[in-house]
Amino acid sequence: MTYRVGIDIGGTFTDFALLKGSEVVLHKNLSTPEDRSEGVMQGLARLAELEGLTLPAFLNQCDAIVHGTTVADNTLIEMNGAVTGLITTEGFRDELEYRRGFKEDIWDVRLPAPKQITPRRRRLTVPERVLHDGSVHKQLDEAAVREACRKLRLQGVESVAISLLFSFINPDHEKRVKAIVAQEMQNVHISTGHEVLPRAPEYDRTSTTVVNAYVGPRVTSYLERLVTRLKDGGYRHQLMVMQASGGVMTKEYIDGAPIRVLASGPAGGVIGSAHAGRAKGHPDLLCVDMGGTSYDMSVVVGGHAPAEAGWNMHHRYLIGVPMVKVETLGAGGGSICHVANGALLVGPKSAGSVPGPMAYGRGGTQPTVTDALVMLGILSTDEGFAGGSFRLSRDGIEEAFAAIGKEMGYSAEQAAFDAWRVVNANMSQGVRRTTAGKGIDPKDLVMLAYGGNGPAFAAIQAEDLGITKVLVPKASPTFSALGTLIANPMIDEERSVIAAANALDLPKARDLWQQLCDRAEKFFTDASFAKADVACDYQLNMRYPGQNFALTFNIHGAAKLGDLSFIDETLGARAIAAFNARHMEEYNHIREHEVPEVTGVRLASHVVTPSPSAAGGFTAPKQAANPAKTRRANLGQGFGEVPVYLGKDLSPGSEVTSPAIIEETFTTIVVYPGWTARVDDAGDYELVRG
Amino acid sequence: MSYELNGKLAARRDPLPTTATIDSVTADIIRGAFETVCFESATFLGRAASSPIINSSNERNAAIVDAHGRLAMGAVGTPQLTFVNQMETRWGLMNQERYDWGPGDVFVGNDPDHGGGHLPDYCVYAPVYDDNGELICIQTLQAHQGDTGGKDAGGFSLDAVDIFTEGLVLPCLKLVHRGELRRDTFDMVIRNNRFATFSGDISAMIGGVQYAVNMLEDLIRKWGSEVVKAAINHSIETTERRVREEVTKWPDGAYAATVLIDHDTAGTKDIKVHVTCTIAGDQLTVDLTGTDDRQDLVGVWNTFANSRSYVMCQLVAALDPTIVKNEGYFNAVEIIIPEGCIAQPPPNKPAALGSFHPACEITEAVCIALSQVVPERSQPQLYKIGMPNAVIGFDDNGMMWMDQGVDCRSMDVSAVQGIDGWGSCPNSLGSLILSEAEDAECRFPILNISREMTTDAGGAGQWRGAPGSLNVKQVLKPTTAMAWMVSSDHPLSGMCGGDDAIPYSNHFEVGSPNERKIEHTAQALLPEGAVIAYQHGGGGGFGPALRRDPEAVKEDVLDEYVSERAAREKYGVVLTGSLAEYDLAVDHAATETLRGEMLLEAAE
Repeated sequence: MTYRVGIDIGGTFTDFALLKGSEVVLHKNLSTPEDRSEGVMQGLARLAELEGLTLPAFLNQCDAIVHGTTVADNTLIEMNGAVTGLITTEGFRDELEYRRGFKEDIWDVRLPAPKQITPRRRRLTVPERVLHDGSVHKQLDEAAVREACRKLRLQGVESVAISLLFSFINPDHEKRVKAIVAQEMQNVHISTGHEVLPRAPEYDRTSTTVVNAYVGPRVTSYLERLVTRLKDGGYRHQLMVMQASGGVMTKEYIDGAPIRVLASGPAGGVIGSAHAGRAKGHPDLLCVDMGGTSYDMSVVVGGHAPAEAGWNMHHRYLIGVPMVKVETLGAGGGSICHVANGALLVGPKSAGSVPGPMAYGRGGTQPTVTDALVMLGILSTDEGFAGGSFRLSRDGIEEAFAAIGKEMGYSAEQAAFDAWRVVNANMSQGVRRTTAGKGIDPKDLVMLAYGGNGPAFAAIQAEDLGITKVLVPKASPTFSALGTLIANPMIDEERSVIAAANALDLPKARDLWQQLCDRAEKFFTDASFAKADVACDYQLNMRYPGQNFALTFNIHGAAKLGDLSFIDETLGARAIAAFNARHMEEYNHIREHEVPEVTGVRLASHVVTPSPSAAGGFTAPKQAANPAKTRRANLGQGFGEVPVYLGKDLSPGSEVTSPAIIEETFTTIVVYPGWTARVDDAGDYELVRG
Repeated sequence: MSYELNGKLAARRDPLPTTATIDSVTADIIRGAFETVCFESATFLGRAASSPIINSSNERNAAIVDAHGRLAMGAVGTPQLTFVNQMETRWGLMNQERYDWGPGDVFVGNDPDHGGGHLPDYCVYAPVYDDNGELICIQTLQAHQGDTGGKDAGGFSLDAVDIFTEGLVLPCLKLVHRGELRRDTFDMVIRNNRFATFSGDISAMIGGVQYAVNMLEDLIRKWGSEVVKAAINHSIETTERRVREEVTKWPDGAYAATVLIDHDTAGTKDIKVHVTCTIAGDQLTVDLTGTDDRQDLVGVWNTFANSRSYVMCQLVAALDPTIVKNEGYFNAVEIIIPEGCIAQPPPNKPAALGSFHPACEITEAVCIALSQVVPERSQPQLYKIGMPNAVIGFDDNGMMWMDQGVDCRSMDVSAVQGIDGWGSCPNSLGSLILSEAEDAECRFPILNISREMTTDAGGAGQWRGAPGSLNVKQVLKPTTAMAWMVSSDHPLSGMCGGDDAIPYSNHFEVGSPNERKIEHTAQALLPEGAVIAYQHGGGGGFGPALRRDPEAVKEDVLDEYVSERAAREKYGVVLTGSLAEYDLAVDHAATETLRGEMLLEAAE
């Protein structure tokens, strides 16, 4: 027997999905914030035990361990990355601080500034200038670079970002600065703009490069620690790491630009959703993930969740690398319910996992969404919560909601019910804003709900959005971990070239795509994949003159690595036609009389690895299920006795009519009035309205 | 078209009649849904517009006005423009029969003398009816257009003598009748604009409001007209209550401020804006009596609706940011603007440049006045730059290009109590995304030489204004540049004893024998290779500089926001060590002595 293991580390739990043949085994254990690799090893030991193996024997039989890490996100949240310096072009010292004018709140003059990764004293400039065509307008002043190194050394800088104007067109100056920094500042981590994000404009590239420099050393050392532990434990292959782009790649590749792991956890969930949706015949999905602190929303269209490299503000810094688009709202099980100025509000403040909701009994004193669900009878205090790791308590909850009710002028139960209404409305508005940005009507989508709390709200929220079908995979509580197993090894990179589409320098474009092919070949073959197995999408980034952001589209899809046969004199005309089609799709119009410009060439390459099989269908005979018990609960239409079903009692073909509550391991599914739940052939739930 | 009309347009409106009562949670849920409709409508416009200033830089506003012409939901965009939409909508609302309003109609207006902002701000709006034909609300979308078909390309004329110099004036024009585009009026509007992209932009605005109307109709069906009207009433009443509650906490009294503009576009000096904010219990009155009313001034006339909106923009900054932005603000605050002054011009005055000045001096004066009562929220929401240098040339094909580029960098970011000024602009402009040098240089024959902050270019204070930037660029081909210089004699004010920002300054053909400082206005053809350098004023300081924590001053010196000399001369801080070696330290004893001497000197 060989195994593949997917691991996703969250704030509270570390999730595991073990694939053996076509069977998937799920496991969760508490995260270990001091050294997260410790929690990983504990979970692997538990999986080994479940398989009746020692840890070394188990690891020896693992073909792949795929890992989604939050270490980069945590570094940005806690702002405890490397002491970072920036070397940039003279005259452009402050672009990072200007943020292109952006501020997160236009109404609040007391909005604090984001903490600066590189305060002005560590943003140093050197005389040099490259122009937009790559020509050198002013030679690099190497003495100034050495002086900058001296100043950074004096300030104890551990990591240096280098970002010069137009380095993505001509990186010679940047490369030279890198060489000098390596000589002058031994043992520093170095990030260069042309390697991390080789595209315009300067703020986007510089911000991304600086964040890479800031999180890089921590990501690299964490992964090294984990690799060592796994190797010592008996694992023989390369550790694969989840990227925000939705693909996985080797640690060696990640080391080149550690920023690629930022926000990779949510990307895993979306990849898992797309996979499940495709298998069940629903390629267009609204994916909602409600965990302890947040509500993540994303859209899958045509079975795919494309990575976008645009205005991704992440932890108040712009991250320009491709990311699977996930919008986050501060609405989770831990979101705190409170009254302000006569209005009942939920979140965005969260009790997090520590102390967590009052129902966790870990010292929480403020009522949360989870506590409201307890008050409403939706969550049980009888059974083990989160798979039996602990039990929910009602202690103090009623009093807390009574206090809210007193301010609002009604009962504790009404206060809990209104909290449920408010969080529902917040989530629905959040979804509408997410889909509006893509020009999509949520009515046309099927909802896929996961995360510990997602299925408790899914159907009622779907109803609010006009959605008539909801999927809840059995593996939904550990979906991000499962997603890492589904994600394929992938390299998605671009090189910049700016030219009118009808005047593209073909030899240059060929050279840039060849460079991308060479890099992909190196990293895939180093990871033991055959070049022939690498599938490639050759893409272009284009825009109309004057637009701030480019659109990306395939110019030669599903092709072989190194196949550049598509580059010929017709490329410009084909590019314009394809771009206009893409622009029409995205913006609903084209500018017929304008020639769009190419801003970059891109190569998205991947190999296909074994995934957990996902299936759907309803061939199993329909059978009415029997509830295990009833419970007094309010599912939106007042309190009443509601049948409660246990997931372990249900099997393919089982049907549960509303109102009902289904208690699964790690999650609770609510069948709201007017909905019916069915278990499909794969054992997953489908909720249908009407 | 008269002061009387302005008064009618601004008059307080009654709540909507409704048979429903509503609880606060339901009202808030409906309010949230309205806000999302505005967001979706603005997003639709952003996705569909051709012009980068709309689809990339986010210069657009969406709002919902109720059937009585009250701002039911003002959201998404720049606060300076958010509080205008209801005024020009009211003109149409007061003339429903005259303009034959009905379901499926879409209108456009931009007339300063009929409730509009300045001419380039086009407001496209559509009435929303319930299934019984009752008018419930109006969806509006406003966006700045790059041209208005007047004398000068771009919509701004330094020497405009009347509104007709500036372009096409539209009080209320029907673009869509009962769902059908009126091709004749549409073509006429398009024909009066120099930009080829205008057709796409106005189509996108029509599409944006129609999209929102569909959503609003769904919401009205879902909740019922009576409940929706009750929710609008509740939301406006809640805002008025919350504003009044905050005002009640402020000490009663009259707080006045005067701000001067260096000169109008004809060179007349010291144009005055005077504001008195009077607090009596829960009533706040903002009175612009005393503001300049010389009728021969040129280029400094701000429309009545804009003046109200700029007052409100600063008041919103002074209050709890969680208060919902709607008509409740206007119900809680009385705004008095004398007839014939530059904040309420007589009919037909040109008004395009007035949205720069005196509009921004109105916000500044309100801010100074209120800094005495709410210092912790007193940051002027403005742009003191006369106007960004308009750099215009022609490419090899003879096509016009313009690198106005929204490329201001650091300017006018004042400190507030407890927070140093930070970022590129005051908060109210924070949803704009500025273009970058690499994008501009790929497109236009210009070279950006520098856009860094200038040391000591922010007002000193207990909390420090952000330094202004020096923007230096070179034109690589012969190029026209147009400028209006202000805020040099009268830079942005510091608050509560903080120092003013540094003066703006602007030089053409730097480093050549023709180098010159722009004193008033300029419209010049620059030769190939000419360099222009625009020093932006920074933000004003807050509180006396001698109270700034000496350690914070040391940090500022390390970051070169402040020079060692200014540390001593402005802040009274004595430092030891060397900036070059990063080993600066505060000599606390010497600092205390120096500050004592400076205080004594100041007292004398």
